[in-house]
Amino acid sequence: MKLLYIYTFTALTLVLGVSCKKYLDVTPANVGTIDYAFRNRNEAENYLFTCYATLQRLFQVQYDPAFCTSAEIYFPNNLTDNQYIDPVGFNLIRGNQTSSNPGLNFWDGANQGQPMFVAIRRCNTMLENMDKPVDISPEEKKRWIAEVKFLKAYYHFVLFRLYGPIPVTDKNLPINSSIEEVRVKRQPVDTVVNYMVNLLNQAAPDLPLTVSNQVKDLGRITKPIALSVKAQILATAASPLFNGNPDYTDIQNKDGQRLFPNKFEPGKWDRAATAIKEAIDVCEANGNRLHKFIAPANISKLSDSLRTELDIQTAITEKWELNTEIIWALNPYFGAQTNSGPRLTAKAAANPAFQGTFAVPLAEQELFYTHHGVPINEDKTWDFNKRYELRTGDYANRFYLQNGYQTVKAHFNREPRFYADLAFDGSIWFGNGLVNQEALYSVQARGSSSFAGPTDNIRINVTGCWPKKLVNYLTVYDDGYTLEPFRLPVIRLAGLYLLYAEALNEQGKSYNEVVPWLDKVRARAGVPGVVSAWSNYSSNPSKFANQSGLRQIIHQESRIELAFECQPGWDLRRWKELQAVLSEPIKGWNIYEPAASNYYRVKTLAIPVFNVKDYLWPIQDNDLIVNPNLVQNLNW
Amino acid sequence: MYKFFTAMTCTPSGYTKKFLFSMKITALLFFVTLMQASASVYSQQITYQKKNVSLENLFTEIYKQTGYSIVWSPGMVKNSPKIDAKFNNTPLKEVLKQALVNSPLTFTIGNNSVIITRKPNTTATTPTVEAPADDIKVTGTVKDSKGNALPAVNVSVVGNAKQGTVTDSRGNFALTVKDGAALKISIVGYVSQTVKVTAKNSALQVTLLEDVKQVDDIVITAYGKKERKEAIVGSVTTVKPGALKIPASNLTNALAGQVAGVIAYTPSGQPGQDNAKFFIRGVTTFGYKQDPLILIDNVELTASDLARLNVDDIESFSVLKDASATALYGARGGNGVILVKTKEGKAGAAQINFRIENSVSQSVKTLEIADPITYMKLFNEATRTRYPLNPLPYSQNKIINTEQTLAHAPGSNEYVYPAVNWMDMLFKKRTNTQRGNLSIQGGGGVARYYVAGSYSNDNGILRTDIRNNNNNNVNFRNYQLRSNVNINLTDKTELVVRLSGTFNDYNGPLTSDGSLQTQLYNLATHTSPVDFPAYYPADSANIHTQHILFGNSPASAGSNDGASQYVNPYAELLKGHQQYSESRMLAQLELNQNLKFIAPGLNFHGIMSTNRYSFFKSYQSYSPFYYTATNYNQTTNTYQLQWINNLPTGNNVAREYLQYYPQDSNNSTFLYLQGVLDYNHTFGVNHGVSAALIGTRQQTLNSSVNGNNNTTLFTSLPYRNQTLAGRATYSYKSKYYLEFNFGYNGSERFSEQHRLGFFPTIGGSWILSGEKFWGDLYDVFNRFKLRASYGLVGNDAISDRRFFYLSDVNLNGGNPASFGTSNGYTRNGVFINNYENNDVTWETSKQTNLGLEFTFLKKINVIAEVYQNNKYNILQKRASIPTTSGLESDIAANLGKVTSKGIDLSVDGRENIGNDLFIGLRGNLTYSTNKYIQYEEPNYKEGYRQQVGQPLNRQYGYIAERLFVDDKEAANSPTQIFSNNGFAPKGGDIKYRDLNNDGKIDAADQTYIGNPTIPQVVYGFGISATYNNFDLSGFFQGQGGVSFFINPATTAPFIKSPESQYTGNTQLLKAYADDHWSEDNQNLYALYPRLGTNGAIIENNRQNSTWWLRDGSFLRLKSLEFGYTLPKQWAKRILVRNARLYFNGLNLYTWSPFKLWDPELGGNGFSYPIQKVFNIGLNINI
Repeated sequence: MKLLYIYTFTALTLVLGVSCKKYLDVTPANVGTIDYAFRNRNEAENYLFTCYATLQRLFQVQYDPAFCTSAEIYFPNNLTDNQYIDPVGFNLIRGNQTSSNPGLNFWDGANQGQPMFVAIRRCNTMLENMDKPVDISPEEKKRWIAEVKFLKAYYHFVLFRLYGPIPVTDKNLPINSSIEEVRVKRQPVDTVVNYMVNLLNQAAPDLPLTVSNQVKDLGRITKPIALSVKAQILATAASPLFNGNPDYTDIQNKDGQRLFPNKFEPGKWDRAATAIKEAIDVCEANGNRLHKFIAPANISKLSDSLRTELDIQTAITEKWELNTEIIWALNPYFGAQTNSGPRLTAKAAANPAFQGTFAVPLAEQELFYTHHGVPINEDKTWDFNKRYELRTGDYANRFYLQNGYQTVKAHFNREPRFYADLAFDGSIWFGNGLVNQEALYSVQARGSSSFAGPTDNIRINVTGCWPKKLVNYLTVYDDGYTLEPFRLPVIRLAGLYLLYAEALNEQGKSYNEVVPWLDKVRARAGVPGVVSAWSNYSSNPSKFANQSGLRQIIHQESRIELAFECQPGWDLRRWKELQAVLSEPIKGWNIYEPAASNYYRVKTLAIPVFNVKDYLWPIQDNDLIVNPNLVQNLNW
Repeated sequence: MYKFFTAMTCTPSGYTKKFLFSMKITALLFFVTLMQASASVYSQQITYQKKNVSLENLFTEIYKQTGYSIVWSPGMVKNSPKIDAKFNNTPLKEVLKQALVNSPLTFTIGNNSVIITRKPNTTATTPTVEAPADDIKVTGTVKDSKGNALPAVNVSVVGNAKQGTVTDSRGNFALTVKDGAALKISIVGYVSQTVKVTAKNSALQVTLLEDVKQVDDIVITAYGKKERKEAIVGSVTTVKPGALKIPASNLTNALAGQVAGVIAYTPSGQPGQDNAKFFIRGVTTFGYKQDPLILIDNVELTASDLARLNVDDIESFSVLKDASATALYGARGGNGVILVKTKEGKAGAAQINFRIENSVSQSVKTLEIADPITYMKLFNEATRTRYPLNPLPYSQNKIINTEQTLAHAPGSNEYVYPAVNWMDMLFKKRTNTQRGNLSIQGGGGVARYYVAGSYSNDNGILRTDIRNNNNNNVNFRNYQLRSNVNINLTDKTELVVRLSGTFNDYNGPLTSDGSLQTQLYNLATHTSPVDFPAYYPADSANIHTQHILFGNSPASAGSNDGASQYVNPYAELLKGHQQYSESRMLAQLELNQNLKFIAPGLNFHGIMSTNRYSFFKSYQSYSPFYYTATNYNQTTNTYQLQWINNLPTGNNVAREYLQYYPQDSNNSTFLYLQGVLDYNHTFGVNHGVSAALIGTRQQTLNSSVNGNNNTTLFTSLPYRNQTLAGRATYSYKSKYYLEFNFGYNGSERFSEQHRLGFFPTIGGSWILSGEKFWGDLYDVFNRFKLRASYGLVGNDAISDRRFFYLSDVNLNGGNPASFGTSNGYTRNGVFINNYENNDVTWETSKQTNLGLEFTFLKKINVIAEVYQNNKYNILQKRASIPTTSGLESDIAANLGKVTSKGIDLSVDGRENIGNDLFIGLRGNLTYSTNKYIQYEEPNYKEGYRQQVGQPLNRQYGYIAERLFVDDKEAANSPTQIFSNNGFAPKGGDIKYRDLNNDGKIDAADQTYIGNPTIPQVVYGFGISATYNNFDLSGFFQGQGGVSFFINPATTAPFIKSPESQYTGNTQLLKAYADDHWSEDNQNLYALYPRLGTNGAIIENNRQNSTWWLRDGSFLRLKSLEFGYTLPKQWAKRILVRNARLYFNGLNLYTWSPFKLWDPELGGNGFSYPIQKVFNIGLNINI
């Protein structure tokens, strides 16, 4: 019987299992947790790239708030569904921004906005753990820390430009933080600016002047980039939007803390000017200069006008490693060439892959100067009122306009940047496989049966004007297409020059000090210097001599030089000029008409809506409910 | 007793697993040997001497001594006389016979049980022991009411236990008895009969009636335990397998309305993809797993395995609904349990059952689509009404010429001016399905077997084209093999071996998203009828072309491959097919051991089961050649074909030959071990005690997750559960029952402090009809029982994320960056999938169940139950963490609470009218309602936005008032722009109610609308009748308290579907064409608002709102069956025991307030329709 009990016990053991706990502990000891991301240099580099990842995702212009909302580009909103571009950004100027579901929401990372706070958290995680990799050299460690600090500052800057006062996230909150701790507050503008500048000051000394191994590392942050961004931050803080903007003086946190400076401080421009000059000096010392086109062997003859056009175009489209002007570009290639170019050939028209939907409104076209380098409504020699009258292209203008093709007077006698940056009905297109200057393509855009005209509700340019600047002249679009990639600059030297001119003028410096910085840029663009242009041709010849007149000149110069490069949108906001720009209706040509006389009738496409509140982005309503410590921006 | 409990603790671990495993095997072998050796202890003889003993006490004693459980109801023995027991090693049969001799009762000895029943009225008189008489030879045949011969029927001689026999496979028996002896003819499941035989009456024809009550008296509960219905305190519904027999190859389709307590509906009719969704007592959680645990022969399997199960192989089907019933499955039982047991062999000569069916199926309802001319005219109208200045899409010339095409006018050209009916192009009206199965069972004293095989061949309704080089139609074949063998190693040791395999082969059209759910309906409804023909006939230039010249339009935007603009549905249908093979092999070994030698009433059941699942899929396809007609010359009626996708390289290269694309594969293994110690004992006369102790372990290993090759380290780790469960019951006088259950469960998903969960339940029942005070009520309610249970059940399947307690970091993927002159240096980056969180724990439900069972007038059985189920600790995403925290993955916590309540009701009854007509009625009703009690959500100002207090699955949207009268009214109303891409509404667009009166319609004006999208009421009722050889049955099924939404985004005409794989313009539903707002017909309540040509412009009308809300309730004639059983003489002539020919139909007629498509599809009207089936079948028993 005893034996029986033993057997029974054995059986019960069988039934009930031997080891309860061991059986359920299925996870191996060394599964990949966050600690493993910093075990060695190799893993840590991977995480460094993750800190960069959000930055590189900012490359798409169609989701860039400055590109979409500056009225430089108009995008139709009646396209057939499921196209490759979500028009959410472009639609904001129609007054469609809402606080219940904001478009281009970089706060939450929704509606085509990138999640900036996630990016900042990653940077903080990297900084917290940089002591862990054992096999990293002290120099490299310093550089990486500096890069991550730059990124952290830049991600704050992205939010700052959109939202103004933001919560500064210097340290990550632990996962198990209490509800009270995660309910952060917005910080005042000056605090945010000083925080970003401070981070960049910490980062700059440890960053390299140039990337030594360009094949592998081009695009990593350098000292010139950090200094240029610092210059931009300080200029933004000194600008009217943030520097004593009376609209915002009442915005305060729930505890009564004021979020915007309540009075203008001129010293902010001094600080900005110093920073811009430092950036320019470092860049120039590092070999940066304005780009000039160097013709490849297959281009034998090149007229001056076309050479200037290529100087202007290739300042953008030249490869970064060959382009001396670019201070910073994002690594991903520009992604919207097919939206920016017209169909030039019969084969392209039969195989309409280029949508060409980025339409330049008439007002943007008319921003460009006359060939004398003054605004078209100021040029005494240019008949502004008769500009929509028809005129036929002639031999003298054959490098710009198709000889013998009927177009309008407005297309004649414009500055080279007009022809370099824009493509329109009758304009000559250097490139697309043709480089013989006497036999180039021209744009045929009148009516649905023309090559570049509207094909359907997908392949349509509603104003009849394309941002040619955003298409590489080497890109070929015929029966297929071969894109020649390029990187759209984030900061280039011309932009710093113009920013410096602006800062000097705002400091109240004499035009003698200011104008040379403008003229550097104008010279490359093939227009005479400010003083001679205005003195000789302008109906307001002394405009440059006073601060406000020169401010207008600087602002227009910046908008022309940096058109379609995402910068003018930010500038118009910080100048508080966007509202004026968007008070004009969006106009274009009458694109469905095949006859020139009907085509060149100005058609109003849309009336933008822009109120004071639109200078800053709304924080999503839901965020305010979740975090009662957050306050909303003005009027949202 | 307590030695078992003390033995329950875990012994220290310290051995390797391998060693343990071999230990277990050794132990098992020892155990078996031991049992054989001790078999002699067992006896069927009873020694008991006591005067004036009641039947109850005697039965208790019998049970103690033999282990035979006695099945009887207290009502039976109420008035039985007491007896004097004088048994000394008397055989059981003899004991019973003597005991019942003066009572109106009789008995049947079954497999380890004795069933006490009333004697048929005809023989209620007390038989007296006859004086010795002459021997006569009696022969006879025993059949059931349908005329089927009954094998293995006991034929015993009353008063002479030594005599007796069983019927053979044809139901025949022969016996030599004394003249005038009474023969008792009995078998479990039928009402026994006693027949007096005389020399004159020696050739008997006995027809046994099925004993409904008796079959129902046995209920299968957790871990396959057979319990008497009277003793059940939990909520268990048993379904007769026959009720699940429908002419479809999917068992789950039969659940709706057949099982009280199950909410079920079928959202698609595609063969192989037509599993019903089913929830026990409705959806009770918003957590990850909402559907029940499915156990087939005690082993956890999937809904698909249940779907494929052959009804003829099912012995019992139970649904465990409340905490008391499911507690033993603590870890998994929170959403209820479906328990299926397959048949085992019965002793006797081989019986063959053979069934063959052929069905014809067609769509219950087809979508009505407007004709091409209306399509074009209204497309023009849509353009004109929205963009008056834009060119019209269809010229008058095109419309006139298309009219000519439709009229087949001379000179018309159907290729240049196509008018394609894509539905007809792609789908046949009807298709065929074949099913057959065969089972053989039998056996003798040592072993019994049940072997079954089945085959079904389901065809889809897609068209094929003989010019094509591959077969694209849906074809779903299922093969099954099942063998259950029971071996009596000794009288007390039974070994059961179950081997089964299920094999599915699928062939079907390609799908772009890797699913098997065909998109062809969506393609057909999202392709313009007039833009291109399905294909062109070869023109002179293409006379030698071998491929089909598919039609299309050139070029799609933004692509570089010279591609076609649209998807040609016909090309999509023909260009290729996908195939998958799926198999599951299951091997299961069970050991049932009577441990009477340790303690009477102690039994052991052990199971070791494993199954291996394998799945692989492949695509084969060619790349269609697309053409467009150009240079049409109307006078000569000629055109030229231009090849569109003519590029030699790229993504869209045309190829005539088939290419092969390997797809995902999935393999998994499953291992299950179970041991149950079961103890039953009756102390004294009145105190019944039983206890069980259960230990299980199970492990699943997957090679991939859901068939996708996105296996990670975490998903490759074994999924494990370990359970120690126990049950203790106590009954007093067979009137009062008390039951305690617990599950002590371990799951690998949780951190150490939460790894084990303890889930106790308690329940009790009271049989009122057994009380003295019931008195005369007994004649009205001869059974009346109340029961109640209360307890906890857990659920560890709380998320698709596996280990919340570990941070899960993808160290090589997620957030890449690239650097270098040509971006040549890329690192894939790091992504945090999960932040470490040790607090995540079990989802638990606290369940209360009250049940009432009674039998009314001995004919109508009613079971009514009410319940409340409080789920708490439901895992949900934290809503209180602001985005400023910068977390890249959600943090979850056990925060949610949901309470659900409901009623389950089932009624059945039967009646014989005269001798030939027999009528049965049954009905089921399930009502289930629920609501959020706790849910973390933003603290909205507007109370109507709060989720708390709302039922689960209730949709959120706007309240539509009507359409705007005109543009002016729209402009002066509160603004309604729903996204940055939206447009302000105009006249004829939907006007929404400004709930918070803030002058704008935005997210804050949404509230909860309609009924939940999962039915709250599912019911079914049916009638069956038998008259002579004919039988007829019909079953109705319905659902109610359910809403669905017409999807305005996918049904909006002329607009591309938001699902980017459908590139064509959506077709125009006829209903929309007939009833929409237009300038000419400004109906403010039109079915469809103002037309539009792109998604943005009608975004206002695409919002989820009451405008699109529809009542999803319906009632349908689910099945109707007419059968004819061959008369016995005829059957005999063709050498079969029984043959039945039947015709039946499925989903024959539907009553519903919604007319556009079948309401059971819900908002998903453009998917494979539910099928109406007409079936002919033949069932033969040999």
